[in-house]
Amino acid sequence: MSSITIAMVVSALVFTIGACGVLLRRNPLVQFMSIELMLNAVNLAFISFGGASGSAEGQVFMLMVLTVAAAEAVVGLGIIVAMFRRRRRMDVDDVKVMEG
Amino acid sequence: MVVEQVVLIIAGALALVSALGVVVMPNAIYSALMLLLNLISLATMFLLLHAQFMFAAQLVVYAGAILVLFLFVVTLLNPQGENILRDKHRLQQAGAISLGLVMACLLVGALLYAFTSGTQPVLAADVTSVGSTYGTVESFGKALFTQFLLPFELTSLVLLVALIGAVVLGKRK
Repeated sequence: MSSITIAMVVSALVFTIGACGVLLRRNPLVQFMSIELMLNAVNLAFISFGGASGSAEGQVFMLMVLTVAAAEAVVGLGIIVAMFRRRRRMDVDDVKVMEG
Repeated sequence: MVVEQVVLIIAGALALVSALGVVVMPNAIYSALMLLLNLISLATMFLLLHAQFMFAAQLVVYAGAILVLFLFVVTLLNPQGENILRDKHRLQQAGAISLGLVMACLLVGALLYAFTSGTQPVLAADVTSVGSTYGTVESFGKALFTQFLLPFELTSLVLLVALIGAVVLGKRK
């Protein structure tokens, strides 16, 4: 087993666990953390294939994913805080209308 | 080489266990701390794949900035714990778990099939050689500011939009 194989299997499994987390949990914060798990799994895949090809592309794309993850965390947590201010519960099922 | 592989397997196992912890922990604080463990073990894997700069970026940006933001929001909102074992969405949970198992089998099966039937991918020779510049700030920055200059500039637009969005969302009515 090469290190690329191990890293890719871990990446696939972490991605699956993240996807299950989004489906299983009702708390928007934990769903958000599961999305971060999925993004990280993709980062690991980028790095391992970048290492296999020996070029810097994998790392550059990981930087893009990192930027998108940071932007997404800021906007998403802002939405969660605004949601919590309106109704004091943390359940994604409560959010049915898209009106501010 | 053997030591590297052993550490890689340990870091991978830790990443899997902590990812499961994020999903099953009843309290959001514990989930966030499990996410921290996951990020650190993934950073270790980056280091073992010779991407040193990305190891540092992962620790600083993810574990340092994004996770602190998460912990801030969790402690600010202080949500009550939820027990996913006593959830009323039984059917949905069973569907999610079975679909997750199918997805895991498909992904891992496809990977192992591809890697065992063809040539197994290994780290490129100029990555593992002594004195290689792969993964250093120098080679990464050279690629980022020459070949990928346009995408790099576009990320600043993404950050600007996120900044404006956060200010608008955080404003009191």
